[in-house]
Amino acid sequence: MKILLMGHPNVGKSVFFNRLTGANVIESNYSGTTVDYTRGYMSLDGKEVEVVDVPGTFSLDPKDRAEEVAVAMLKEAKDAYVICVIDSSKLERGLYLALQIMEEGYSVIIALNMDDVAEDKNIKIDSQKLEQILGVPVVSTIAIENIGISKVISRLKDAKPVDVEDITVMRAGMNHRGKCGCT
Amino acid sequence: MAEKNNFVMICIAILGLVTVSFGLADILVSAGGDVTGLSILEIPGDMFRGGWGGLIVLFAGLFYLSGCKNVAEVHNASKVAIGSVLIWIMAGTDIFAMITESIPGGEDGPWFNSLSGFLGTYAPPYAPAIFLLPFSLVVVYYILKQERAR
Amino acid sequence: MKLNPDERWDLIDSIASHVVTYGEYRHTLKDAIGELTVKPMTGIPIAIAVMYCFWSVFGSFAGTLCTDGFFVKLFDGYWLPWLQEVFPGKGGWLYSILIDAGGMTNGEFILSDNCFEAFGVLTSGLFVAIGVVLPAIVIFYLMLTLLEDIGYMPRLAVLIDTVLHKIGLHGYAIVPTILSLGCNVPAVTATRILETRKQRFIMMTLLAIFIPCGAQLGIMEEVIPGLVGYVLLYLVIGYFIFGFVLNKIVPGKSPEILIDVPQYQKPMMANVRRKLWMRVSSFFKVAVPFVLLGCVVVNVLYLVGFIQWLGDLLAPVFVGWFGVPKETAGPLVAAFLRKDLAVAQLSVIEMTQYQMLSAVVLVSIYFPCVATFAMMLKEGWKELIGSVAVLAVVVFLYGGIIHLIGKLLGVA
Repeated sequence: MKILLMGHPNVGKSVFFNRLTGANVIESNYSGTTVDYTRGYMSLDGKEVEVVDVPGTFSLDPKDRAEEVAVAMLKEAKDAYVICVIDSSKLERGLYLALQIMEEGYSVIIALNMDDVAEDKNIKIDSQKLEQILGVPVVSTIAIENIGISKVISRLKDAKPVDVEDITVMRAGMNHRGKCGCT
Repeated sequence: MAEKNNFVMICIAILGLVTVSFGLADILVSAGGDVTGLSILEIPGDMFRGGWGGLIVLFAGLFYLSGCKNVAEVHNASKVAIGSVLIWIMAGTDIFAMITESIPGGEDGPWFNSLSGFLGTYAPPYAPAIFLLPFSLVVVYYILKQERAR
Repeated sequence: MKLNPDERWDLIDSIASHVVTYGEYRHTLKDAIGELTVKPMTGIPIAIAVMYCFWSVFGSFAGTLCTDGFFVKLFDGYWLPWLQEVFPGKGGWLYSILIDAGGMTNGEFILSDNCFEAFGVLTSGLFVAIGVVLPAIVIFYLMLTLLEDIGYMPRLAVLIDTVLHKIGLHGYAIVPTILSLGCNVPAVTATRILETRKQRFIMMTLLAIFIPCGAQLGIMEEVIPGLVGYVLLYLVIGYFIFGFVLNKIVPGKSPEILIDVPQYQKPMMANVRRKLWMRVSSFFKVAVPFVLLGCVVVNVLYLVGFIQWLGDLLAPVFVGWFGVPKETAGPLVAAFLRKDLAVAQLSVIEMTQYQMLSAVVLVSIYFPCVATFAMMLKEGWKELIGSVAVLAVVVFLYGGIIHLIGKLLGVA
C-alpha cells in the first residue's frame, strides 16, 4: 500500500508529510527530470506504509515540469490512497484537484488543512456535510499544530473510490430535502 | 477611551521621533566615518551597521510615525508592529554579534574566553537599537493585547 | 465518469454553497502585516531589513564565531604544524600536493604558516571545506529555510516581480537567485520553477555567472572583508545588465505568472531540521569531493609548470585588458574546479586593492565550478553551450569595463 500526499503548492503539504512520517525520509529525484520529491514511511496497523510527498500541483493538467511529475507519479501508483490536502480558506480551488483525482478512480481522503487560517478569515466549512456529499472521508486539520492528523490516519480505511456521478445525484437529493425544509 | 488613545498616540509618536533621530544620527555619523560614543550610547560608523543599519532604524521610526495616529485601527497597528520588528532585527543582530564575539578566546588566547572577557563584551556602550528594544516590546505587547480583545 | 472543467466548477459551486458559510470578513493584524510586506512602499524597507538580518547573522556566525573564533586557530595552530612535522618527504611532490607547496626563498624551502597559503589537499583543502564553507552553508540554509517556512519568500517574489520582468523572468526567480548564494548546484535544479526554456536558460546563465556561492562568500568575507560589498555591487549590476541583454536576444516567451501568497505562519522545527539536514548533506556530498579534487589538480598543474605556461600565454590579456597581475592566471584555472579555492589563492598574490577587486569579480563570474557544470549539462547540452558562450563574452567585456571604470576613477 502506498499513500500519496497531493495538493496545491503552499497548503502545508510538507508539514503534513512530516507529521505522518517522522524522521527517516528520503529525498529522491524523479528519474529523467530535475524534480525532487520526498518519501518516507509510516506504520499503519503494524505495517510499514510508504508515504510520498508529491510536488504541489494545481490540477491534473500540468502547467510546468513539477506538475508533470506530480501527474506522472499519480498515474504510476494506480492502487494508491491519496490524501488530498486542501487549504480550507480556498476550498473551491482545492476541490477542483480533489474531484479530478476522484474521477481517475483513486481512493481519496480529504484533509481540510489550515483550518485556523480559514477561521481567521471567518470562513466556516461543514466538513460532515462535505463528507456526505462527496462520499469520501473529510477531516479538518491544522498540520502545523498537529491537530487532526491522527484522525486522518484512522479514517484512511474508509477511503474508497467514488463515482462522481453519485456525487451529483446525492447533491440533488439534498437540494430537494432542502426545499421542503427538512434540513 | 479617547483620552487613552491620545496617550498611546503620543507615546508612539515620541518613540517614532526618537527612532528617526537615531536613524539619522547613524547615517550621518557613518557618512563621516567615525565611531561616536556618548557615554553608554555608541553610534556605529561603518557602512554596514551604521549606513544600512541606520537606514533601517530610520525606516522603523517612520513606520511608528505613520501608524501612531489611531492605533486602534488594524492597519495602523500593523505599521507600528512592523516598526518594532525592524527594531528587533537591528537589536537582535547586534546582540547576536556580541554573543559570537564573546565566546571564542581571541587570536592568541585560549580556546574559550575568560569569564571576565565574556562578560566584558556585554558591557556598554550599546548601539541605539538596543536602547529602543524595551520600548518596542511594550508597544507590541499593547498591540497584541488590543488585537486579542477584538 | 469524468467531468469537463465547466461541469466540475458547476459541481464545486453547488457543493460549496452547501458547506461553506462566510462570516463577516474581519481584517486581522496578521493580514494587515502581510499586506505591508507586499506593498512596495513598505515592503522594500522590510526586505532591506530582512536582507540585513540575513547578512549580519551570516557574518557573525560563520565569520566571527566559527571561522575566526575556532577554526583558524585549530587549523593554523595545530593541524598544519602537526602535519608539516609528521608527514614524510618534505619538499617532495607528494608532500607538496597533500600538505604544503611552500615557497622557495633564496633556494631554501620555506613552509607556509597558515592554511590559506599551504594549498595542500589535507591542509587548505580541509580548512576551506570544513573551517570556512561548512559554517557558512549551515547558517545560510538555516536562515533560508526559516524564511521559507515563515512564508516570507513568496512575498519577496511579489515585491521583486516587476524588476525581474525587465530581465525576462518573474518574481519566483528570486528563489534560485537566493538559493544560489548558498550553492549554485541546487539553484540550477530550482530553475524548474520557471516556465519556459528561455527563462530557465537566462536564469541558469545568470546564476552561474553572477551569483557567488556560499563558499565564495565565506572566503571573501575571510580574506577581503572590506571589499565584499563592492564585489557584490559589481555582480548585481552585471546580473541586471546581462539579464536585460539576454532577454532581448534569446528567443522564446516569458509568460506572466500569478504568485500565490500564503499566510504567515510559525515554522515547524522538525520541518526546518529536515530541510536543513538535506540541503547541507547534499551540498557536502557534491562539494567536498570537488574541493579536495580541485586542490590535487591545481597542485599538479602547478608542479608540471602548466599554470606558469598559461599565465605567460594569457599575460597580455590579463595585464593589458583586465589590469590584473599575470599570476592571477593560476587561480582562474583553479576557479574551474572550485571558485572558493581560487579566491583564497588570489588573496596571497600581491596587488593593489582595485586589482584585487577586479580579480575577485572576474573569478566570481569566470566559471561555474565543475559541479554546477555537470548539473547544467543534465539540464541540456544546448543550454550549457549557450551559457558558456555568454560567459566568454561576459568575462571579456565585463573585465574590460571594470578596468575602465577603475581607470576613470583613477584607482586602477
